[in-house]
Amino acid sequence: MLASEQPESRGRSHFILKKVLGSLLTLVFVLVFNFVLFRIVQSDPIGSLFRGRNVPAAKIAELRTAFGLDESLWVQFWAYVRQTFQLNFGISYQSRQPVWNEIVSAIPATVALVGISAVLSAVIGTIGGVIAAWRRNTWKDHAITSGTMVFYSMPDFWLGMILLVGFAVVLGWFPVGGMTDAGSTATGLALLLDRLHHIFLPALTLTLAYLGEYALVTRSSLLDVMGEDYLTVAKAKGLRDVVVRNRHAVPNALLPVVTLTAINFGFVLSGAIAVEAVFSWPGLGKATADAIRGPDLPMLQGLFLLFSAAVIFFNLLADVAYAWLDPRVERA
Amino acid sequence: MTSLAMQRRRATAGRVLGQFRSSKQGVIGFSVLLVFVVIALAAPLLADVRELNPVYARASGNPQWASPGEFGALGTDHLRRSVWVQFVWGSRVSLFVGLAATILTISIGSVVGIVSGFVGGRPDAFLMRITEWFLVIPFLPLAIVLASILGRNVWNIILVIGVTSWPSTARLLRAQVLTVKQRLFVDRARSLGAGNGHLVARHILPNVSGLILANATLAVPISILTETTLSFLGLGDPSSPSWGKTLEEAFVNGAMVRNAWWYFLPAGLGILIVVLAFTLIGRTLEEIADPRLGRSR
Amino acid sequence: MNRPVLSVKDLAITYHSASGPVPAVRGVTFDLAAGDSLGLAGESGCGKSTLANALLRLLPDGTITSGQVMIDGRDLFALSPGGLRAVRWTTGAIVFQGALHALNPVQTAGKQVREPMLIHQTVGSEDEARVRSRQLFERVGLPANQLDAYPHQLSGGQRQRVLIAMALACDPRLLIADEPTTALDLMVQAQVLALIAELRRESSLSLIFITHDLSVLTYVADRLAIMYAGKIVESGPSLSVFENATHPYTRALAAAFPTIGDQTSRLAPSGLAGDPPTPGALPAGCPFHPRCPLAEDRCQTAEPVLRKAGQAHRAACVLV
Repeated sequence: MLASEQPESRGRSHFILKKVLGSLLTLVFVLVFNFVLFRIVQSDPIGSLFRGRNVPAAKIAELRTAFGLDESLWVQFWAYVRQTFQLNFGISYQSRQPVWNEIVSAIPATVALVGISAVLSAVIGTIGGVIAAWRRNTWKDHAITSGTMVFYSMPDFWLGMILLVGFAVVLGWFPVGGMTDAGSTATGLALLLDRLHHIFLPALTLTLAYLGEYALVTRSSLLDVMGEDYLTVAKAKGLRDVVVRNRHAVPNALLPVVTLTAINFGFVLSGAIAVEAVFSWPGLGKATADAIRGPDLPMLQGLFLLFSAAVIFFNLLADVAYAWLDPRVERA
Repeated sequence: MTSLAMQRRRATAGRVLGQFRSSKQGVIGFSVLLVFVVIALAAPLLADVRELNPVYARASGNPQWASPGEFGALGTDHLRRSVWVQFVWGSRVSLFVGLAATILTISIGSVVGIVSGFVGGRPDAFLMRITEWFLVIPFLPLAIVLASILGRNVWNIILVIGVTSWPSTARLLRAQVLTVKQRLFVDRARSLGAGNGHLVARHILPNVSGLILANATLAVPISILTETTLSFLGLGDPSSPSWGKTLEEAFVNGAMVRNAWWYFLPAGLGILIVVLAFTLIGRTLEEIADPRLGRSR
Repeated sequence: MNRPVLSVKDLAITYHSASGPVPAVRGVTFDLAAGDSLGLAGESGCGKSTLANALLRLLPDGTITSGQVMIDGRDLFALSPGGLRAVRWTTGAIVFQGALHALNPVQTAGKQVREPMLIHQTVGSEDEARVRSRQLFERVGLPANQLDAYPHQLSGGQRQRVLIAMALACDPRLLIADEPTTALDLMVQAQVLALIAELRRESSLSLIFITHDLSVLTYVADRLAIMYAGKIVESGPSLSVFENATHPYTRALAAAFPTIGDQTSRLAPSGLAGDPPTPGALPAGCPFHPRCPLAEDRCQTAEPVLRKAGQAHRAACVLV
């Protein structure tokens, strides 16, 4: 038994090691790219900060020194790398607080909102896709396919605006924004309920916006699998239709969906930017939207780095999950 | 070109057209898109561009925040401007940016994909490494960062979308070129002494053009939605307002709290319908380019 | 012999397709007694695989069938869904062409072999199923450690053995082998054939063996049936059919396969020009007449029926 297992696990750990190294290389690329983007493409950050506004030259020079922009490029790059690893992303132009502190304080709100929506959209979308494929060309299939396509084709923040006007402004069922009622001193369960009340509409928006992709990918993946011989074999064995579907078809069809899920988890962190802005949800997305208005470049730079790191991490997770689920991976 | 090759090409075009016409979703998508293209092209006839100017709108005595019944077909906004005029002129900008950005995306993607697949070896490895990196960098934040740095105008938005969304096209085309390359006739053509330019122009391009077209059509929705989001976040060109810009102004100026639905519904619906139309057309073209898809999807 | 394990009467199968109905099987009749083996041969598209799938009602939705299939005394087309599931694999099991996709890639071989036993409760527990699957692996000549292997870790021949072990899991009375040796190396083909022949000797298993390769059949089948365009055109004892082929089509097939599994002759049988007809557009009269070297005028008008051509030997040709 060991004889057949050992080369397999060696193949897998080799595969995962390769993916980890690839991710680190990508991270280095992002660091360099980030530096180039903010220091070279934009040769005069302070100048463009005040572009079109009447600011005295002395003030500009003072800011340049304050932000360390007088040094040579190499010195700046070295300082940048060192600071990045110390989680020092500079001082926000807007709040004058360290960028890292600003980011850290916004993370929980985004993780809660995006986490809930990502899980819900993945689960509901996948189930919808399975139903659509298994009952293809029936009214269920048409309803699911066209419904998800419509949600998929609209700007997510516009969907949020409609839901907000409908359910918060007109009907008054939900608050118009924020994470808690203003001036609320609730604690414990009351606080939790208050937060759930606030998170409902933005979470619904993101769930509806993202489930289309899961449904479409699951559907087409399952349709590909449905022609496979091993399903005929399973049917011939005397399995019920549902068992054939759940035990043999779905596990094979879900392989690409798992990858999509993990990758999306990385992307939704940054994908909620406009929706968070609509609902004044105090997370990373709103921080980004606020930083754009400045523009608050150190803040944008820090956020961009964080978003990229999240995507790289979840991509790696996707590869690992795939290796775990698909025994064939060692050959790839 | 010999007349035989010409005939064959014309026959292919005829076949594609026939297949397209027989697809219900393709015809619907195309008809809907046609309506919007006409609106965009006929904008000067449909709506007076001066109405976009708040000063002019005030001077013409327009009411503020008028609902559709009270003023024109779609009411007015906080600056007394007609929402209908904004919708018509916004369609122009949104469609233009969407198409131009797609052309840039597809051009970069096609060149990278074809060169990578055709040349192979080190250039291929290098280009694919870059492509993978660009695939991993989160697309919207990158676009935001670039747009913030470059400044707010239409051409920068086009550039930003083009620069950020080419990698998937490059990967798709590379795979297709590799398949085509392996087919026998390329070897035969090479052995007859054909140069690389000839090979790409006569053998590779005709075989991947269907895929490029389908991919381009499916890339337009992404371009339009990206433009909308960037504009909504305040990165749009103030001098040529798109549908996304309308949504931003509606949001920033409190249209939602006032329940001024006429301000933000038309622009969003316009985006939704145009995006759906391009998706339907793109899926039809994809099925024609790759008949395998038609069976199951 | 008493009641036949399988009795097929006037079976006709018509697929539903976008371009109209496609008659894949057009009236097939045969009996199979317990312990007997029947070889079904013909080119691809002649309806032999459709016939195999029909024997367990595995055809796609919307397929029209007529005629009767009695399997172990039960009318297959009259069974309830539950009754049908109970018959599948316990009475008749299929060995699919395994070199490609007949095994689920994300489940171990052992799990897939155990599954039918647990579904039909032919074993009392998971542990019992493990014991039995180990015995089955031994019987088909696979080492027990390969129970934990995934399909991609096995060779083509090993996968085929797994499929045979899987088919034997519930001790079926009837084994339907659908091209089990196609796409295998010559050596492996011979091994798999020997295994099937050996299994038959050991038990009272009835066998239907489907292939395009006539020479293989003389090795495993007592009786042969040659199919062309959805019908049996010649049937009889193996040697009789092979050596005294009466139908011009059988003669062409027999001449085409000098050795077991010659891959080159598979696509272009010598002395047989043209392609088999598409089931959707069969020629009038004898469907074989456009390719037949002996065709006469009358072949274009009437389709011949099976007639006696020797001891238990029948053929559907006007020249008989």
